[in-house]
Order: sequence, then structure tokens, then C-alpha cells
Amino acid sequence: MAPLGDRVCVLWAQGNLQVFHQDLPLSIQDGYEAFLSSDSVSLQQYQVFGHLKRLGYVVHRFDPSSEPSPYARQLNLPRSRDRGGRQLKRKRSPSPAPTSSKTAAASQAEEMEEEDKLPESHLVASAAPQTSSSGAAGEVQARTWWPAEVPERQAGQRSAPGSQRWDFSSICFPDLGSAGRLAPLDASLLPGGVTPGVCDVAPWMRRINLRKVKMSPKEEERERRQRRRDVNKDKEVQRCRNWAEYHKLLERRQAKRQGRPAHLWSGEVQPLHDPTRPISTAELLEKISVIKSTDLLEGAARLKGSEEWRICFNVYQPDSVADFKKSNPGKPYARMCVCSFDGPVPDLRVIKQLSFQSGDVPVVYAAVDHGDISFYTFKDFQLPRDIYP
Amino acid sequence: MEAELQPQEERSPAPVVGLSLCDSAPLLWRLQDLKAVRSEGLVGALLGSLPRTPRQNVRLGRPLLLLPEEERLLGERGGAAALPAQNQEAAAGELQQRYTEEQQRSFEEQSVLALEDRESALVRAMTSSSGSDPASDEALQHRLLDLEQNFSFPRSALAVQLSTARAGLSHCPEARAFLEADWPIRAQRCPRREARFQVFRDLRGRGFFLTSAGKFGGDFLVYPGDPLRFHAHFIAICLALDESVCLLDVLCAARLGSNVKKTVLLCSPAPDGPVRYTSLQWSGMV
Repeated sequence: MAPLGDRVCVLWAQGNLQVFHQDLPLSIQDGYEAFLSSDSVSLQQYQVFGHLKRLGYVVHRFDPSSEPSPYARQLNLPRSRDRGGRQLKRKRSPSPAPTSSKTAAASQAEEMEEEDKLPESHLVASAAPQTSSSGAAGEVQARTWWPAEVPERQAGQRSAPGSQRWDFSSICFPDLGSAGRLAPLDASLLPGGVTPGVCDVAPWMRRINLRKVKMSPKEEERERRQRRRDVNKDKEVQRCRNWAEYHKLLERRQAKRQGRPAHLWSGEVQPLHDPTRPISTAELLEKISVIKSTDLLEGAARLKGSEEWRICFNVYQPDSVADFKKSNPGKPYARMCVCSFDGPVPDLRVIKQLSFQSGDVPVVYAAVDHGDISFYTFKDFQLPRDIYP
Repeated sequence: MEAELQPQEERSPAPVVGLSLCDSAPLLWRLQDLKAVRSEGLVGALLGSLPRTPRQNVRLGRPLLLLPEEERLLGERGGAAALPAQNQEAAAGELQQRYTEEQQRSFEEQSVLALEDRESALVRAMTSSSGSDPASDEALQHRLLDLEQNFSFPRSALAVQLSTARAGLSHCPEARAFLEADWPIRAQRCPRREARFQVFRDLRGRGFFLTSAGKFGGDFLVYPGDPLRFHAHFIAICLALDESVCLLDVLCAARLGSNVKKTVLLCSPAPDGPVRYTSLQWSGMV
């Protein structure tokens, strides 16, 4: 692959490379004029490239076709660039041997299916290991791989529930306050040799609810008043001129007691939530929220790319930090999009589209301003909510 | 606070600098052009790697990129010319021959220097280990003679010089003086550009040095003297006189300026001549 103009220029300017044209060495000026133009590598892109290279980063051209599609990313496939053949060694089905043209996706799917079929095949293999025709020999050999695999996997799965949370709806705690007796213990739960007797809780029960409830003077007053209240002495009742009004008064009082006063609930605009109904804090906050929080990538899949804005480079950290190989560079540290202070600011559409194209690698916008380069990036941020589900 | 300007008659005519376009950006390559431009008060921005220390971004080397306003100012003063594209005078064969001769000359020089280097290293090594007794002296002389006879400087170790500017012009020094000021004024017919240029010309005329201020949210950074010696005093933002500005933008600019300890200058060229300046400075609350 012929080196691109920007790489040539940087190596050349750093003194690592000498370029000849018609047997005469080119000057750097000639190189700039020959290699840098708006249709190949623009001067601004070269500036950003040179800046990053001088700092020591490894910078590669971004190739949109070499990135996995969003569907492939969703499936979380391993990057099977060079390891295609070697990785699929485990996949051998009892059915006719797979053709080599199957893609990694199909092979993964098949592996899942085969694991389901495993218990039966495992039994079959163990029952009849001796039946070996030339064709089945390969299969039996393949099958002996799986029993070694499966128990680990099942063991792995079994260990998971142990770490799950308690299911309180199925554990019942006896209500000691109301029931008179406790049910005797199940002997299997006790260590051997211990027999549970009948537990007589009567003396204990007698000791519960013994203390007299001490009311404050105001509460006691209220109790007394409620017992002695005369409906005719009530001022509001006296103001009622007929039974209809009295009924309305009773309704109002009822509603207020129940937390649904008429001035709030009988109009067109009603409160958002009935306070008498239970609701969790999270749901309540959802109800009253004005701004819906969203993700940067929401709706990004539908956006089409634009001509002006595109990702130019993949930037990798220098070799000592990450293990970078030209054939397998791994995940880049960031992706660069070069723009200029004279040009437009990237709008939400562009940001969404480029972030989506980039996947989980952050996109950095390098704004070039006549020799100064400023790097900007956009980060997703969640406003904190004090709710613990 | 403004610098005193010398009267125009006393100054010698400014030399014509050679500009070359790369991706429609004006670049200066030759060393004498850079010096000339700096002495006229135009700063520009260096873009290339510095040959001695390529792996850093603090000090960069040639080429020098000019602001569009600087380019236009040079053009208007008649101080800029297009560099000839290729050296058309000499034939390719002659250039080739000159190149090989130069390489040979360089090789011979370098081999002499390399031999001297090795000899002095040898002397240092031998005299440091033992004292000065006649036996070791003689051994030293013997070794030096040996070295001289058997030393050969390999061709692959030759240090090669890469020329930054186009070689043709530095080869014939007389060509330097013969640039006719013929740089076309590539003015963009855009009111914003026009306003920027008017402000630039006015501030430059008052003796200030100006560079671009994108990272400070303005149009120009205004220095009272050479940027290598001073910090910028102002951030200049160019607006048309009748342009209405949202108050939030003014607040943004003022806040930014106060955070970086520079005064924000709102500059508006008036159609009748002088540029009007308004400064924004954060005053303390009393």
C-alpha cells in the first residue's frame, strides 16, 4: 500500500526519509505542494497528523468499511480478523462437517445450538463410545471435547444464583404479634440430635402491648372533643339552609379528609398524581420530569453521513502502553475529526452520526486555527438522581 | 501605551517576500522571507517540524503560515510575490551533475572529520588509562598510524542534508532579489472578512502585533510588542457597527476575557474611516 502524503511528509520533515523525484532529492516545500491538497490530504489534516505524531501517538487513517457494523457490535462478536480459522476449532457438530465458508456469526450461533444438544449427545457418546466407523471416529473425538466443556459451564451457571439477591416474597416471617402460637420447627433444619419442643409463647404474648399509650394533652383533648361534638353547634352546619347544602358540606369534608379536595379535583386541570395512591419515588420523579434524559446515540442509526464531516484518523497510544501491531492494532484510543475555526461548528446531527460510526471509541474534534490546534470532545453525562432502587 | 511609529520616509523599502500556495494557504519557506516578514511586524504561525528537535510541539519550524489579513496587507503594500514553481533555468542533467558533485564534496569533508574524531577518541582512551611514559607514547603513535592507514568512512554513514525550501533558489543567490511584487489580492467578498481586515490594518498601523485567537473565542490576540516578549493584552472581536449582538454572547466574551486576564476589544470599522473600539473589562463589585 503506497504511503499516503501525510505520513511521507512527517517522516520526511523529521529526517527519517528522503524523497527523490527524477533522481534529484525533493525539498520539503516541494513535498508540501505536491502531496497536500484538499482532495488528498488537506493542510489542516496534515497539521493535526504532524502534531499527534510529534507527541508520539500512532496515527492511522480511518477506514469506515473496516469497522464492524452496529449489528455485529450488538452481538459482541470477537474480532475475527486473523484468527478466523484457528478460533473455530472447537466448533464441530455431529451433523455433517461445516463448510469453511461459514462466517463467524453463523458459527457462534451454531455453538449455542450445539450446547443445547449437548446433554443428549453426551449421553450417547458415553453409552456407545465403541461404535466407531471411520466417519464417526472424528465425531466421537469431537464429542469428547464437550463433556470437558459443559460441566464447567453448568457449574459456572450454578454458582451464579448463589450470588443473587434474596427473594423476600417467598420467605415468610412469622407475625409474632398476632398469632398465638408459633408453628413447630422442621426437624430437618436443626442439627442432628436436637428435638424441638413445643414453644409456649403465651407468657411472652402477655407481655406485649402492655404499656399504655401516652397521648399528648392536645391528643387527649381531641379525643374528648370528638366524643362530645354536637353537630348542631358546628358553625358551618348552621350556615346550611337546606339538606342539599348540608350534603354538599358533608361531601366536602369527606373529600378533604380523604385528600381529594374539590377545588383541586373537580376542575379540568387535576393534580398529576393522587396522593392517596402509593407510588415509588422513582416513578414520581418520572411523572414530574419536564426534560426527558436521552442518550447521545439515540436515533443515531437512522442518520446518514454527510460529505463535510467525517472521521479522519484513528489514534493509538504509543507502543509501550498498548500492545499495538500493524496487523492487529486493537481498539484505538480516540478517533479524530479535523475541522477549522472558520468552518461551521458540528451540530447535534453530526455529533450523533460520527459517534455512532465510531462505536465505543470517543470522537475528538481537532479544530485548527492557523497553527493552533484545539481538541474538543463530547461526553455523555447523567445528572445524578438520589434514588436507590 | 501605543508604540511610537517611525515616519514612513525613514524606513528602507521592505524586501519582497516569496509566497507559495499549498492547499490555498499562503506559506513562506525561505529564511530571509521569514526574517523580513517578522521585521515588518507580521507574526504568522510556524507549521513544520523543527529539524533539530522534531519530536515536540512547543517550537515548530518552517513553513510559516500567514493569516489571510497578513497576506492581504503584504499584497497591498507590494511586498509579496509568487515563488516560481520549478527551477526552469537549469536542465535536469546539469542539476543532477551538480547534486552528485555536492554529495561527493560532502562525503570527502565528512570522512576527514570522522577520522579526526576517531583519532582524538583513541588518544583520549590511551592517555587516560596510563601515565605518560615513552613506551605507551610509542604504542599510541603506532596505533594512530594504523588508524590513518586503515580507516575508511562508509558511504552509508554519510549525513545528508534535506533542504526545507526549494533548492533552486538558494543555489542562485541572485535570484532572490529578482522577485517582482505580483501577488494577487485574493480578497473574499465577505463583509466579515472585510471588517477583520480593516481592524487588522488599523491595529497593525498603531504598532500592535496580532495573531489568531480562535482558542480564546475572538478574532485576534493583540500584543503590545513581539509575541515572544510579551503576553497578549487584548482579545479583539470584530463586529459590524450595525450588527446586533445577543447579550449572552457579550457575557461569554467578557467572562472568558476576565478568566484569562485579557481585555476584550469589540472592534467595528466605521464606513467613514476610523475603527471604533469598545473595551470590556470586568470591574470589581463595590
